[in-house]
Amino acid sequence: MLWVCGLTKRYPDGKLALADFNLNIEAGELVVVLGGNGGGKTTLLRCISRTLSPTAGEIWLNDTNLAALSGERLRQARLPLAMIWQQASLVRRRTVLSNVASGALGRYGGPWTALGGLPAVERRAAYDYLSAVGLVALAGQRAGTLSGGQAQRVAIARALAQQPQVLLADEPVASLDPEAADDIMRLLRRLATQEQLAVLCVLHQIELAYSYADRVVGIRDGRIAFDRPCTELPRDVVRQLYLSEAA
Amino acid sequence: MSLDAAAPQLAERSWTGATRLALRVVLVLALLAIVVQAAIVVRARPQDLITGAYGMADIIRRAMPPDFGKIDVVWWPALETIDLAIFGTLGGVIMALPLAILAAANVTPSRFFYYGARGIIGFARAVPDLVWALLFVTAVGLGPFPGALALSVHSVGMLGRLFAETIEQMDMAPIDALALTGARRVQVFSHGIIPSILPSLLGIALYRFDENIRSSLVLGFVGAGGIGFELMSAMSLFQYQLVSLLLIVTFVMVIVAERLSALLRNRLG
Repeated sequence: MLWVCGLTKRYPDGKLALADFNLNIEAGELVVVLGGNGGGKTTLLRCISRTLSPTAGEIWLNDTNLAALSGERLRQARLPLAMIWQQASLVRRRTVLSNVASGALGRYGGPWTALGGLPAVERRAAYDYLSAVGLVALAGQRAGTLSGGQAQRVAIARALAQQPQVLLADEPVASLDPEAADDIMRLLRRLATQEQLAVLCVLHQIELAYSYADRVVGIRDGRIAFDRPCTELPRDVVRQLYLSEAA
Repeated sequence: MSLDAAAPQLAERSWTGATRLALRVVLVLALLAIVVQAAIVVRARPQDLITGAYGMADIIRRAMPPDFGKIDVVWWPALETIDLAIFGTLGGVIMALPLAILAAANVTPSRFFYYGARGIIGFARAVPDLVWALLFVTAVGLGPFPGALALSVHSVGMLGRLFAETIEQMDMAPIDALALTGARRVQVFSHGIIPSILPSLLGIALYRFDENIRSSLVLGFVGAGGIGFELMSAMSLFQYQLVSLLLIVTFVMVIVAERLSALLRNRLG
């Protein structure tokens, strides 16, 4: 499904953010990436989503190496890959339904969508995605009026409208209270299991990782510290990731 | 601290005080010099204003009472003035919006387009609307149409700049998120950028409409139609009672447009 091979990113100031990083995620898997600040977690997701160009390495999404593409070919190849952030990043003045349906825009060309219209079939489908995240009652509400947890659910519904195979989540619960964070992680777990999505999620909360992930990848100084199933990963090993930062 | 020890500090303080006083005197003298040179350059003659007050009073006397009997002659030019402002504002918005996108540093496709669009916007603003009107009168003849064209082009200067600044100040996170779903550039624009900034754009356009109502009055003086044209004609024919009527209608129009624009902008905010 998603295979990252030898991924390296060096910033123009010379800082090595990722070094020879390897990762493989299959459909139905929820993999959590843990690590201290500046360890390279966000750089990893930004390189995979190609919002950042890697210095070296390959990013295989099914049979396509995203690292080798650019422009329109990259846009097309990236369609099965959706992303959510710490902030929901919704268009606040549009309705919840319009925000969700806009996730499908990449599959449509033509003047109707270019002029701000949304295909009727996608508007209907948006109700299903909202139903999947438990917010169908808020379909007609403006996105700017939602709470943080609700907005993040809508962002996930927008990602679903993209009909992705891989979902990247960059600290999706960082700004949420524990209850809302638990809800979002439960939802991501369900999407991985039921929809067979490959979910790669960056987190800071160790306990959430143990509760919901199949595998945990530790990252330190841009390199893999460990990549193991939760059941085979002692908590002490995970805490070591953060010890050097605290020292 | 002993007095001896404090002496250098006190001396420094008094020197600073003297410097400040000197600077203030220089500043006041510089301001006076600017005012005097301005009076010389504009050849200000207050005595002429006093001796000429009789002529002004005579015109005002002859303008009273306003000739309300000719109100039916005023409706059409008044409508023309409003429509000049509507056409000018709409034309300006249509031209300014794509230019603003190219002139906004955060969404422009390239530096070439950025500087090109900024140049066009700056030029449209730098050339006064009266000059644009004279150019368009030469091109399409007398009447409201050249005035409307002049207002459109001149509006691009202000609208383009303010639209571009609005786009530059917007939150880019939703835009980046939409782009990453695979939406094309034009879709990101119509589904992300426009909905996010629409109230601000409408507010700016309404403010410009209010400005254009006033500008369209002046444009009439160079033959671009509307109430301004009627005002110039009436003054040339010494029909001062008609002039006073036209001024009353103008005053009402400007106040109504200003209040309406402010009201709508408040509602959008």
